[in-house]
Amino acid sequence: MHIPDGFLDPWVAGLFWLGSGIVIGIAVRRARGELGDERTPLLGVVAAGIFAAQMLNWPIPGGTSAHFVGGAFAGILLGPYLGVLAMSAVVTIQALVFGDGGIIALGANLFAMAVVDVLVGYALFRALRGVHETGAAFVAGWGAITVSALVVGVGIGLSSAFAYELSVTVLIMVVGHALLGLVEGAITAAVYGYVADARPDLVLGRLDDDSLSPEVGL
Amino acid sequence: MNALVSDSWGRRALIGLLVLVVLAPVFGWASGAVGYAEPLENAAEETGAADAADPVSPGLLPDYSVPGLSSPLGTLVSAVVGTGLTLAVGVGVGRLLEQ
Repeated sequence: MHIPDGFLDPWVAGLFWLGSGIVIGIAVRRARGELGDERTPLLGVVAAGIFAAQMLNWPIPGGTSAHFVGGAFAGILLGPYLGVLAMSAVVTIQALVFGDGGIIALGANLFAMAVVDVLVGYALFRALRGVHETGAAFVAGWGAITVSALVVGVGIGLSSAFAYELSVTVLIMVVGHALLGLVEGAITAAVYGYVADARPDLVLGRLDDDSLSPEVGL
Repeated sequence: MNALVSDSWGRRALIGLLVLVVLAPVFGWASGAVGYAEPLENAAEETGAADAADPVSPGLLPDYSVPGLSSPLGTLVSAVVGTGLTLAVGVGVGRLLEQ
């Protein structure tokens, strides 16, 4: 899901930059109060883990495939602000150092993976964790990547390189990632479940008003 | 970074990162063998956009390879550099924002 340069019309790329800039700016301001000796190393570890996991392209024989993206996972584990920062670090390094995703298109890749994937994943998790916590993590991983794919599908579908075939691009992106997203959801739920069991204190996405966390006795 | 090495969970996390890094060349080989393609590439093929890709900059390690180095080794070096750099940037940005 990394958009190269040349795929997006300038105004589309510009709008994505604007949206990413605003959200990342807010995340930077809000993150100040959340960081410290416990959480700063966690921010680094989660970002590094997601970078490494994104290098593992799933070898699905004969068909369309993907890799773990991890935005929802970052949002659940780190909370929305640190989650946005962690994913921004990953996506920016991928573009600048490895040419994975374009430079002009970086705003769009940030918007898809560091903004939409993180915030939708976090929102889904918060909304559903009362029903079933691990299930909520699964739905968050799956749903957020699918919405993210929809956003990318719209962006490329409004661009001349894709002949403005919006219905084609949206269909391919959403159907493809809704299927592949099942793996994203499964990994998100599995790793979340492991961390939440072993170190519930590290799960920032469910702190403060969280009446369901084990620390408060439920 | 010292906080990570001295804490037992920090050490576990670093070992976890190392495992992912070592897996990178294996997955790189396997995904190459099955003809890895993402939905975005399918959409580009379908609408004639595939040739529109026009990188502004290929990056220092283009497509997770090291120019002049064989593919599994280049992938491994890329994984080490990228994971280490992301860890450093994440912790660095965090420390900057703490102040």
